[in-house]
Amino acid sequence: MTIRFLRNKVVEVEPQTDGRLVVSWRLTDDLLKASVSLTVQPPDLEIVGAEAKLERLVPRAWATAPEMIKKIEGVRIGSGLRKIVQGLLGGSNGCSVLGQAVLESSNAVILHFTRPVLQIGERLEGDAKMEHLRKMVRDNPRLARSCVAFQDDSPIMQGVNG
Amino acid sequence: MISFNRSQVIGAEFPDEETVRFYGIQDDHIYSMEINMDVRVTDGEILAVEGIMKRYTTFVCPEAVPILQNAVGMSLREKDWERRIMKEIGRKGCEHFAEIIIECGKCLDQARMTHAMWKALEKDPGLNQEQFMQTWIEGHPEYME
Repeated sequence: MTIRFLRNKVVEVEPQTDGRLVVSWRLTDDLLKASVSLTVQPPDLEIVGAEAKLERLVPRAWATAPEMIKKIEGVRIGSGLRKIVQGLLGGSNGCSVLGQAVLESSNAVILHFTRPVLQIGERLEGDAKMEHLRKMVRDNPRLARSCVAFQDDSPIMQGVNG
Repeated sequence: MISFNRSQVIGAEFPDEETVRFYGIQDDHIYSMEINMDVRVTDGEILAVEGIMKRYTTFVCPEAVPILQNAVGMSLREKDWERRIMKEIGRKGCEHFAEIIIECGKCLDQARMTHAMWKALEKDPGLNQEQFMQTWIEGHPEYME
C-alpha cells in the first residue's frame, strides 16, 4: 500500500573553529518544508543566533516564523528550557514547529556532548564497563530514573552510591 | 565535521478510513529504533504498537520493548498526551521509543489533512491547496497545536 504522508527530519551539530556549535534542523513532508539554524555558545550553551525558514504550504498563522525565532536568542540550553520555549514560541500566537525545532536542536547539542562519553565506555569490558555506566549517573544525576536502564532496580543503579 | 546527526522518518498509510498506520524510524550516531503503530483516526487511540531496538547503549535497554505495550489504549489527542507518553513509555521504558511515538502523534493531523487533500485533488487537480489547507485548519484547530 502506498503511504499518504511521509515526513523526513534531520538535525545535525557542527562544531566551529571558534568553539561555537551550529545546529541545523530541517523538516520536509507532504505539506511543509522547514529549516531552523541555531548557533550555540559553550560553555553556558547560550543560543546566540537563530534563523528559520518555512516553505510549501505554510499556515497563515506561522507567516512570521523568521521573526518569531529571534525570541529564542539569549536563551540557554539547560533545565527549564521546555517551559521557556513554550512561553516564547507556543500558544495561539506561536509556532509549534519552531518550538519543536528548538527543543530537538537543544537535545542534539546535549547528545553531541554525550557521544564521546559513550565511546569511552565501548572500549571497556566487564566491571570496568559497569563502573563507567555508574560514573555517568554520578556525574549526571538527572539520568537516574530517566529510563528503564536507570530505574532503581536496574543492575546499573545497584552500586551507584557504593 | 558533524559531531552528531539524528534522522527521523515517519510514514503514514490508511489501511481503512478508521485507521492510520505509522512507520517511524529514528537513527542517530548513538541510537537506532523503529516503531510501527496503528492509531484510530477519530480519537487518536493507539490500537497496536511494536518496537524494534537496533542500536542502544546499555544491556538493560531491551527491557523497554515489552513496556511499549503500555501505550496501547493511550490517546494521541488527550490533554498532555506527549507528557504521558514520555512518562509511561520513555521514563519507564525507553526515551527514544517515546520520541518516535510522539513524532507519529505530531504527524496524525498532517496525515489526515494530506489524505483529505489527496482525495480532493483526485476530484479537482486544479484545487487551490493553500485555500484547502486554511479551510481544513479552521475545521480542525488541533492541527496548530
